[in-house]
Amino acid sequence: MSIQQKKNRKTRRGARGLLTAVSLFGFVSFMLLFIRTGESRSLILAFAVPLVEYIAAHILGRFFGADILLVSLVNFLCSLGMIVLYRIDPALGMRQPVYYAAGTAGMVACIIAVRMIRRWPVFIVIMMGLSLVLLALPLAAGREINGAKAWILIGGISFQPSEIVKVFLVLCVSYMLSRRQRVLSIVYAAMCILLLALQRDMGAALLFYFTVLVLIYVSTGSLVLTLAGLAAGVAAAYIGYTRFPYIQSRVAMWQDPWQDEYGKGYQIVMGLIAMVNGGLWGTGLGSGNMTAIPEARNDYIFAIIMNEFGMVFAALVIIVYVLIVVRGAMIARRSTSAMHGHLAIGSVCMLAIQTFVIIGGVIKLIPLTGVTLPFISSGGTSMVSAMCLIGLVQGVEARNRDVLDEDEEMAEIDERGART
Amino acid sequence: MKKLRKNILRAAVFLSALLILLMVYGWIYVSKQRSRVLNASANDVIATRKESVRPGDIYDTNGILLASSDRSGARTYQEDEQRRRAVAHVLGDTRGGVKNGVDSFMAWYLYGFEFSVIDDITNLFTAGMPKGDDVHLTIDSSLCTYISTFFPKGKSGAVVVLDYKTGATLAEMSFPDFDPLTVNYSGSASERAVFINNAVQMLKAPGSTFKIITAAAALENTAGIDTWNYLCEGYMTADGKAVTCSGTNLSTGKISAHGALTLETAFSKSCNSAFAELALNMGDSKLKETAEKFGFNDHFLFSDMVVEDSVYPSRNRTPFEIAFTGAGQSALLTTPMHMCMVAAAVANNGVMMEPKLLKEAVSQKGSTRARMSPAVYRTVMTEQIAAVLKGYMRTTVQTGTGTAAAVPGHRICGKTGSAEMDGQENTDAWFVGFIDEEDFSYAVCVVIRDAGGGGTYAAPVAKKVFTYLTENCKKEK
Repeated sequence: MSIQQKKNRKTRRGARGLLTAVSLFGFVSFMLLFIRTGESRSLILAFAVPLVEYIAAHILGRFFGADILLVSLVNFLCSLGMIVLYRIDPALGMRQPVYYAAGTAGMVACIIAVRMIRRWPVFIVIMMGLSLVLLALPLAAGREINGAKAWILIGGISFQPSEIVKVFLVLCVSYMLSRRQRVLSIVYAAMCILLLALQRDMGAALLFYFTVLVLIYVSTGSLVLTLAGLAAGVAAAYIGYTRFPYIQSRVAMWQDPWQDEYGKGYQIVMGLIAMVNGGLWGTGLGSGNMTAIPEARNDYIFAIIMNEFGMVFAALVIIVYVLIVVRGAMIARRSTSAMHGHLAIGSVCMLAIQTFVIIGGVIKLIPLTGVTLPFISSGGTSMVSAMCLIGLVQGVEARNRDVLDEDEEMAEIDERGART
Repeated sequence: MKKLRKNILRAAVFLSALLILLMVYGWIYVSKQRSRVLNASANDVIATRKESVRPGDIYDTNGILLASSDRSGARTYQEDEQRRRAVAHVLGDTRGGVKNGVDSFMAWYLYGFEFSVIDDITNLFTAGMPKGDDVHLTIDSSLCTYISTFFPKGKSGAVVVLDYKTGATLAEMSFPDFDPLTVNYSGSASERAVFINNAVQMLKAPGSTFKIITAAAALENTAGIDTWNYLCEGYMTADGKAVTCSGTNLSTGKISAHGALTLETAFSKSCNSAFAELALNMGDSKLKETAEKFGFNDHFLFSDMVVEDSVYPSRNRTPFEIAFTGAGQSALLTTPMHMCMVAAAVANNGVMMEPKLLKEAVSQKGSTRARMSPAVYRTVMTEQIAAVLKGYMRTTVQTGTGTAAAVPGHRICGKTGSAEMDGQENTDAWFVGFIDEEDFSYAVCVVIRDAGGGGTYAAPVAKKVFTYLTENCKKEK
């Protein structure tokens, strides 16, 4: 057995422990909610959620070559989401497992795609075209929610194209940058960001921009180019600031939400109240009274977590995101081709920036822009896209293992050949 | 590939740092701003807490007990009515009449939000309501009581005393005062106006005390200011409208001119025309820039108190309005606390300290929960400009409009102000100043509304405050 395989086995044992802990967390939390509310549905979830997650992790690990540690971390965040959403509104909590299943399917699709596809150009061209069309759709036939025209309605289900395009963007930009087609990738990314800005979906525009910027740095290693990109972004933000009153009001509310406590600053003030009232250890699951915060189930779910679970736990949640980044980077560094390296780091980068943007907005570190908290916020598209991004990373990991196995086989054959 | 791996590592470090920044910022925000958040009117956590915890005691800087609580959790105040009234606004009340008084703004300590897990467990096994932490303030209640004996009866206004080296607030008084034991909560709107803390909530034009800032802007921006000369004719016109000096009344044809002036004499005699001219010369943007450095248009987010934000106007800036601003009028709005900080910054060589109110918070078991640490708000001007202004403010008290504030044997510096208010018979009388001595590093702001000239009405009040400070408040080395 090689050193690498020994190492893998050790990690897997550690990951299994983590997976058990995550299942236990889900079980205990739903039991607590059952005791508090006496609703039988929470009793069902207390058993179903950990069980399904446990099984999903094993299937992903065994049959699709996924990294169990990464799956466990994601499972933890998903369980937390289901618990908090159930706490806010049981109906939401019942819907979230369905999205989790859909997300897992998306993840599997992405793993298979990354593992199997050998000739990318055709797919890249299709995805580029598709992403521009998808982003243009809401402008033509979109629904306006919270001032952003970022939603479209298909068969009675509203969905946000930018969430799906996230996955395409990471794939396309990673491919092009790894083929040194820098200009083309920048033009494509700029077009996507422009379309998002036109939809007034500033949150998504911000995510796309920073992800591409980080990918450009990873690809070129050129600080000059990255800083130039940063300067261009700052200039665009400044122009946006001077042109659009709603951006100005966002910034003003960020600087001092207290000037309009019950008006435009209400959401920010309520978020801060949730954080401070929660204190270090939280008010306890089900004991908080902040679930009436606007958008508590989407953008503001982290405020509820801080309120009921406390700052220590909230810090732990952030550490889980950090671990996802670290694990993603490890996988990226082990990757066998430049494209796969880009893909893995790009995916976790997208998730990390998204986490930073929304939590930073809730705790008033940066102006608030509406994006969801990956894996935790309610919503199908958001869940599927986050799972797909993890799927890309897992696909890279699966390929790493495939190549490793091939190498080992080769080595074994060589060894045998040498012996005889 | 090797380079790519290195870059991936760097990107991962960057992203992790970004996420860890969230934790650091959240921690800092909660430790600095929790009082403001607990006191948000949308937050009912204090009200809930009051049902199970009785408030801790409040002491002044010399250890005099100002407020305590009985077994049922109700507030009790000390017996001397004069003293009770003198600190009523700064202490606030348990029913939220005064916004952001100590009783609510320091609820974090007073109502035991800082209880540790061990405290919570011991409290479970202790009979009666647990008591929150005690709070020791920087307030000198004897000074406040003394001030309340001679502040003009029936007048509305404010007195603020700061230690300009540390930012410690010795007095934050609002008039008319009230007695927390007998005050009427269900009165009419005008009766409830007594709850407004004029020291930090009253936004009014600062009048000529603003000339400190105009002068600072001129010293920084106007070329040849050292040899600048101005001939005052009692008024000046901008846009066909007149800015008049005090004493001039154009409708009756009465002219009161200051004659030939330098910047120093224009300051000490408080010549409106000269400062209007200076403001016009340097332009609105330069004056605004300096005013904003001094804290105008900023959102004050101090850790110990809530001070209303001062406003430098940005709309309707005609030449007349700009000229009028130079003399401290127009749509300028500020609080006595902020103007006291302005004087304090001059005294402290250009460094403006954040006003502090909490000296120490102590648990019932005697362990210190928090202790005051002086914090710089901003460096608002260079040391050189501060030194020049200090000289001007000294001259003002020696030979200018502020002679009534002089205390023999002490280096008193100051600036008077008489702010014109629409619909008011008399001007608001202002005086801001400080004692320029190591042993008595105190800044004072006195505002008496609808009284008359600052030199005549506010300066004598300030003199009594200065005298008390020099006799009773020598700083320990």
